[in-house]
Amino acid sequence: MELYLGIDIGSVSTNLVMLDPLGEPYLAPLYLRTQGQPIAALQRGLAIIRDQLGKGDLVCGVGTTGSARQLAGVLVGADVVKNEISAHAVAALRILPEARTVIEIGGQDSKIIILRDGIVVDFAMNTVCAAGTGSFLDQQAFRLNIPIDEFGALAGQACTPVRIAGRCTVFAESDMVHKQQMGHTLPDIVAGLCEAMVRNYLNNVGKSKDVAPPIVFQGGVAANQGMRAAFEKALQAEVVVPRYYNVMGAYGAALLARDQTQRRAGTGFRGWQVSTMPFQQRSFECKACPNACEVIEIKQEREVLARWGDRCGRWGVTGAEADQAVQQH
Amino acid sequence: MIKVGIPRSLLYYSYFPLWRAFFTEMGAEVVVSPETNKAILDAGLRSALDETCLPVKLFFGHVLALTGSVDYLLVPRLISVEPKAYICPKFMGLPDMLRARIPNLPPLIDVAVDFSRGTGNWENVLSSMGRLLAGDRRLIRQACRSAQAAQSLFQEQLEKGWLLPEALNGAAGERGTERPAPPSPGSGRLNIALLGHDYNIYDEYISMNLIKRLRSMGARVATADLVSQAVIDEQAGTLPKKLFWTLGKKMIGAAFAFCDSGQFDGIIYVSSFGCGPESLVGELLARWVKRRRGIPFMLLTIDEHSGAAGLVTRLEAFTDMLLRREKG
Repeated sequence: MELYLGIDIGSVSTNLVMLDPLGEPYLAPLYLRTQGQPIAALQRGLAIIRDQLGKGDLVCGVGTTGSARQLAGVLVGADVVKNEISAHAVAALRILPEARTVIEIGGQDSKIIILRDGIVVDFAMNTVCAAGTGSFLDQQAFRLNIPIDEFGALAGQACTPVRIAGRCTVFAESDMVHKQQMGHTLPDIVAGLCEAMVRNYLNNVGKSKDVAPPIVFQGGVAANQGMRAAFEKALQAEVVVPRYYNVMGAYGAALLARDQTQRRAGTGFRGWQVSTMPFQQRSFECKACPNACEVIEIKQEREVLARWGDRCGRWGVTGAEADQAVQQH
Repeated sequence: MIKVGIPRSLLYYSYFPLWRAFFTEMGAEVVVSPETNKAILDAGLRSALDETCLPVKLFFGHVLALTGSVDYLLVPRLISVEPKAYICPKFMGLPDMLRARIPNLPPLIDVAVDFSRGTGNWENVLSSMGRLLAGDRRLIRQACRSAQAAQSLFQEQLEKGWLLPEALNGAAGERGTERPAPPSPGSGRLNIALLGHDYNIYDEYISMNLIKRLRSMGARVATADLVSQAVIDEQAGTLPKKLFWTLGKKMIGAAFAFCDSGQFDGIIYVSSFGCGPESLVGELLARWVKRRRGIPFMLLTIDEHSGAAGLVTRLEAFTDMLLRREKG
């Protein structure tokens, strides 16, 4: 069958989704931990998918997204390299074509995407501060010794959620400790934390945005029923969590790759051997000017696949020309 | 020959032609610090107080790049350049901040610039500067005239569509030359208004080549410099309360003019982290742009972190959005 691969490499997870020509997931989507090693995670994911494919299965298009989209794009030979906003919006619209708001909360970042008539009309991403994202929930679940998968269900048992200062996670944590020492029950505290995070999200990322239903909630944090309930309470509207909520970026990238290659035949996919190829990555400091850019170089055996990180573009060459430049350097 | 150092930072971007012409005419050699690079930024970060904003920290870096090689350093105490409106309070304190933090500073030319009561003018300010250099009265008068001619030529060039760096580096040429028409917008090309302090958007290092990146994404970029002072005053005057930040007023007035022109697909506002006036002006802008005309608006915050990935993601998503809106 003709298949389309979507890859989303984020700070926390590396996700792969394989779609059939109709845009439906062909294999179970993969959600792997990046663990600081995007190349290894990508290769692991590709190997898992390769082993599940049948004889007639052929990859006809590849799309990448996420903060390592450029890196992933070079390694696999992507047809589309797209930012996360566009990828998430495409996937949400596929699930719910009439969607008007997409809430996406991942490990280190959060976004809001406002859609009207199937088009992105506004968006925002969190700025330097990662308060109120998945990592903080993870950290608090660990502190309270509750498995993260049970965290959300616990919030559902709350009678009167306590009010927790959600503006900054440092304050939130000390507030939680305080409330717990006062004798509030764990479910009330957990539900209170969810409400504080939702408040924080709506005040920062969602500030001055027209949040209108239908609302889609995706990203890893959407697994948390407590967060979903808190959003529904704050927005007074139903919040839809799609089935593949945690791999929507990869899903969107695959859809984009499908559209692109169906329009322009032929894929740049470098084949499954990518999962076993040895890649070398290194970085060096360019000495040509006082900017001292840290240049990253990705090599496959002796061939330079890509370099980036330089402001002026002098290293943005590939092939033999680049090798010479490095030797001279 | 006396060497006068001018840091390539902050109001250099607004007044360099004035200052350069004045000191050159006075017989001094004008030395400008190099374009911002990592070493300059790092030096500034180490030297400035942590509480200040990124542009002020960068100013420290540019000052350090000049100390030791100039006889005087031009750091006017900028309070106000027009009646009833002010420059940022941090600008006012620059000479004091520098003296408190940097040892072996060359003598500062720190004449106060305060036109808030409607009395002062550049001629008085320049004359005081000239007297510091012990110039005679006739020479000072003549230098003032050249300085003001250079500055008005600069303003004229900006309003004719030359981008600020072109007008500063002399690419704009002689008086009266029109800027060659920009390439005509092909299909899918975008018109983007880029707003932000000149010292942020035109500093290629801290803006991470924002203008070049936007152009490479197929956008035509317009900045507030295109809009004349009269239009800015008129447009900003439509706010229910008078804005008393000169630089904030420029951005709001320009944004409103761009909105009214109906020619722009989107507005990008660049703000530096920790900027007091901008925390208010940015919010005002976002709300009024939405209310007056629903042009997509994006706020970009820049800070010390040099990773361009976050910036690129936002720019890509924004231009993607604008292109799709156009098609849809």
